[in-house]
Amino acid sequence: MMTGCRAAAEGAKSAEVEVICSFPIRPYTAIMMELAKMVANGELNAEFIHGEGEHAQLSVVLGASAAGARAYTGSSGVGVTYAMEIYSPMAGGRYPAQMSIADRTLDPPGDFGSEHTDAMSTRDQGWLLGWACSPQEVYDNTLMSYRIGEDHRVMLPQMVCQDGYFISHIPDKVTLGETSQVKEFLPPYRPISPLSLTNPVSHGPQIRPDQGAPMDAMRAQTFLAIPKVIEEATADFARIFGRKYDPFVEQYRLADADIAFFIMGAHSNTARAAVDKLRKEGVKAGMARLRWVRPWPTHQLAEALGHVKAVGVVETSTSYGGAMRGGNLIHELRASLYDLDDRPLVTSFMGGLGGETIWPADFDYMAGVLSKMVKEKRTDRYVYWLGM
Amino acid sequence: MAKVHEITVWARGVLQDKEGRDVINIFAKAAQAEGKHAQAFDNYEDLPDRVLVTVRKYVRLSDEEITHKYVYTNDKPEVVVICEATIVKGIDVLRGMEPGGTLIINTNRSIDDMLKLLPNANLLATIATVDADAITGVRTVDFSGSEGGVDTTGIGKGIAAPIVGAVAKVTGLIKKESLAKIVSDVSGMERGYNEVKIKHFKPAVAELVGAAAGSKTKR
Repeated sequence: MMTGCRAAAEGAKSAEVEVICSFPIRPYTAIMMELAKMVANGELNAEFIHGEGEHAQLSVVLGASAAGARAYTGSSGVGVTYAMEIYSPMAGGRYPAQMSIADRTLDPPGDFGSEHTDAMSTRDQGWLLGWACSPQEVYDNTLMSYRIGEDHRVMLPQMVCQDGYFISHIPDKVTLGETSQVKEFLPPYRPISPLSLTNPVSHGPQIRPDQGAPMDAMRAQTFLAIPKVIEEATADFARIFGRKYDPFVEQYRLADADIAFFIMGAHSNTARAAVDKLRKEGVKAGMARLRWVRPWPTHQLAEALGHVKAVGVVETSTSYGGAMRGGNLIHELRASLYDLDDRPLVTSFMGGLGGETIWPADFDYMAGVLSKMVKEKRTDRYVYWLGM
Repeated sequence: MAKVHEITVWARGVLQDKEGRDVINIFAKAAQAEGKHAQAFDNYEDLPDRVLVTVRKYVRLSDEEITHKYVYTNDKPEVVVICEATIVKGIDVLRGMEPGGTLIINTNRSIDDMLKLLPNANLLATIATVDADAITGVRTVDFSGSEGGVDTTGIGKGIAAPIVGAVAKVTGLIKKESLAKIVSDVSGMERGYNEVKIKHFKPAVAELVGAAAGSKTKR
């Protein structure tokens, strides 16, 4: 039994990270605490640097990655946003370092609870961005993300996210990989053009405006190639470790579902139990759980959810003033389904905000709303706020 | 959904943080070894890095898999464990408890003394005291293994050992033999098991205590 924080640290240890940069903020702090113990005890041979803030943390791992080291950092909540400047240089510089996030609400007011808005705020910065729903998946995603990010077809930094407290602090069963399995799955990091005393290179130079658009187009092109790399890595992971994940979208009792919850992170565990209960009551419910926000699995979602009559997006992030007036995921889900001839009705439910749990009864309520939408063949609301 | 038994442990920040967590982890591990499903976790709103603030730790036990993992507090604790006696003075430690519950306190005071400090003692079917401090002679073993991490120094070296022994004896929820395989201080655990003082209330007596304390709680 271990927490998501311990699982993340075990993942970094298995990946034999070479440079770690820490700065404390709840709830991710325990990841660094565990890594510090591992380094101090001689279990992990890594340079452990304490940054003077999150901006420094990201800067340190940028430099380490540029010099050819497998680098690791992490944060939570306003720590994630404090580091904002460094996200785009890391992605643009193609430094495949990893940042482990235990989600926390943004201020104000100070709240330790989980909310996905912190990491979701970085979704346009060019990183790989994925969510785990258990400590086991945190460990697994740590390894998979390094493998995908360091692939020469990708070369991008990765954010491995877990819900603060629910995943980061509640222990669950975790099976760690054998050294031989990790060695087979994750080859050493091979930088393409590292900083070097013997072979001088320039990183991050100033460019002219006319060079900007081609570079952006190249990065967009790279993202088109990532899904294949994710599929390969996920399949390889299943072969070597024996744990099989849907590469992009976990589909739970979805094949014949009339209504579905679209969700990511911890509360999908409650959603699964809710689906089972609804099925017993004769409601054809299902769940689609998103594993990657970037790259967004447009076609996979259209395929997984196209036949469903009504989808309820369970949002654990906010996008104030957005098109759907609530969270973030519904925008991209509706866009993903738009080209279907017979597309599902889609609405959203704001839940789990401020770190509040989403109760089984909340899923009953959502199922009621979705069933009503199916019956009336329409929805007149983009967003419902749970518990308000 | 299966019946989930809730145990809430109250301790003091920093000095007893590990001890409080040890109590829940030992209990959950022992329950799992006996084939039960168990969860053990810290309350997240408490501030365990503040010295002496009250911190709560939770255990949940069930015969079936616990499907809703993310109820992050024990709202209806059947058993409340107090690692430091003065906590009962400022806080309603029995809140949420349904009538017929159990309270176990680490103290050298008498049960009758402790009852005077509990305005809603009528909720209790059982109260017990164990002098864990005297048994182990030490209250703080280690500051390590704080929130979200693991305890690398081993569990059940300090007052957690006699406390879990006492809980096992009083509640019968776990076997002493299972605890012995987990705690570092087995003799401390056994002394807690043997030396705990227990008082059971018959329902009628419990009602009387409630009436005397002016509680409106109905059985």
